[in-house]
Amino acid sequence: MERDVILTKRTQLSAALPSCALAMSLSILLSAAAFARTVKDQTGRIVTVPENPHRLVSLAPNITEIVYALGLGDELVGNTDNCDFPPQAKDKPHVGAMVNPSLERIVALKPDLALGTPEANRRETADQLERLGIPLYGVTASTLEGTLASIEDLGRILGRAAQARSLAAQMQARIDRVEKQTEGRPKPKVLFVVWYRPLITVGPHTFIADVIRAAGGIPVDENLKGEWPRLSLEELLPLDPEVILFPQTESFSPSKQEFQTLPGWKDLQAVKEGRMFFVSETIMRAGPRLVDALEELAGVLK
Amino acid sequence: MTLPATPRNVMAVALAMLLLLVLVVLLSLTLGAVHVPLSEVWRALTARGGGSEATIIVLDIRLPRILLAILVGAALSVAGTGLQALLRNPLADPYVLGISSGAAVGAIFALWLGGRIASASPLAAFVGAMITMLWVYLLGRSGGRLASYTLILAGVITASFLSAIILFMLTLLSTRDVRGIAFWLMGDLSVTPLAELRLLAPVIILAIAGLYLLAKDLNVLLLGAEEAAHLGVNVPRVEAGVYILASLLTGLAVSTSGAIGYLGLLVPHLGRMLVGNDHRMLLPTAALGGAILLVLSDTLARTALAPAELPVGAVTAVAGAPVFIYLLRKTAG
Repeated sequence: MERDVILTKRTQLSAALPSCALAMSLSILLSAAAFARTVKDQTGRIVTVPENPHRLVSLAPNITEIVYALGLGDELVGNTDNCDFPPQAKDKPHVGAMVNPSLERIVALKPDLALGTPEANRRETADQLERLGIPLYGVTASTLEGTLASIEDLGRILGRAAQARSLAAQMQARIDRVEKQTEGRPKPKVLFVVWYRPLITVGPHTFIADVIRAAGGIPVDENLKGEWPRLSLEELLPLDPEVILFPQTESFSPSKQEFQTLPGWKDLQAVKEGRMFFVSETIMRAGPRLVDALEELAGVLK
Repeated sequence: MTLPATPRNVMAVALAMLLLLVLVVLLSLTLGAVHVPLSEVWRALTARGGGSEATIIVLDIRLPRILLAILVGAALSVAGTGLQALLRNPLADPYVLGISSGAAVGAIFALWLGGRIASASPLAAFVGAMITMLWVYLLGRSGGRLASYTLILAGVITASFLSAIILFMLTLLSTRDVRGIAFWLMGDLSVTPLAELRLLAPVIILAIAGLYLLAKDLNVLLLGAEEAAHLGVNVPRVEAGVYILASLLTGLAVSTSGAIGYLGLLVPHLGRMLVGNDHRMLLPTAALGGAILLVLSDTLARTALAPAELPVGAVTAVAGAPVFIYLLRKTAG
């Protein structure tokens, strides 16, 4: 009896030793493989981000563009129905719309990091993903500078800090060039039309308003509140914009001539002089091509 | 078809509906934007734990959503059944009468105040529902009697007034909150975490049980308030009970999943066609029938255009509005 017990104890001990060593080396291996940082993202959420994320899901078109620009297109395993640039982004598996992506699609793609932005996604989506064990890192930008900063920030998170820095530097150089060109020019008051009936424009604290400023214009009303404020036509009349911009979207129908007969619009300086322009929709994406939009707009406002 | 509501028949019908619900739930568990083979679904359900994608999709994404659909579907349908008996009006429904809008106003108001009050939004929704219901009830009385059309008109007008209030509140909120709230308003079952379901389930089940205790009195009440009083029913007490419980059910449903319309109208009618007018039979049938219909609607909402998801409120409205029009014409004729 007693012998048996001793024997068992000894075998237990001898068995325990190697397994202990195995566990230790395993835990070292594991911690090296799954080393993760806990960081605060740009929206103020605390996120645990893997050291070298290599399966990314993007929940907004501007983020998809940044991911590709950082050379991480192959690491992108999924994006939204709205992600259409670069063209190969359209061939990635889609997870649905930005505002309510399919959670099970995301889970099935086995991402180690999801990327989103409060400009396009709901807070609830971030909470749901967190509960499902998928970290969501959020970026946000309300200026041109902020857009460069979020590119650099994503670069650091995705292990492409150097590329991101050089991309941001290139973009900064182009911004500086445009600002130098427009220096000293008269600054036209610009109305950016997100939607015309009712009139919805952009708030002064958005990257779109900032692009307008950098391109040598001034947003028509610097006192508007929110990101997409409404503006009544009677408020618009005394503001009297000199230039009116429309993003080139599929849903936009009326032509310049039609505005010349629209009450409330036809008396505006910009409408009378025909200074109404369609600009590429890129201006609404806080990504690498925002400087393309800036250069395009600087040309328009010349 | 009318079955006598003997305990045996009630049990038999409830069991049959429950079986159907289980089948619908199993079907819904196997459908989604991602194809999960039947064997994987079964493994996820039987072998607990294990962190495979199939397990996460089935247990952590689909199941909580289905459970919420069951609770909300049952709550709205029972609330509708109670209201139809209370108001002696086959067109009564929390959505048509503006009670859902009242609950939504309450919930958004709590969110608007923000901070700690925001977490009390179910309570605020309940209060909003109560106030709206009382208001519509008083407005719908003409000459001390509840007139069918006056009541529906009062409800419809109240609903549109409250929609205006909601729009007003939305313009005051920041764009980011608005996106979430607008989505929730259309009816969204996707966000409620399991922990919240654990709190929600007992309250909804208790409220449904409470209404069931009033089933016999509701039957008598259908004859008219005076007749019921003559037959020994404590009419004010029964009315107050239905009024509070239906508001509670509506408030809870709306605060978790937005304004899902027409379920409270559709299900009691289907129930009456199925088992007749006895509330001892009708209430359990409506509860389980509502659960079945909402699980089916939500399954459709998340699979029809997958991976894009439709708001489930759109699905129930598309199915429910024609039924409402049909009933309106039938009662008019």
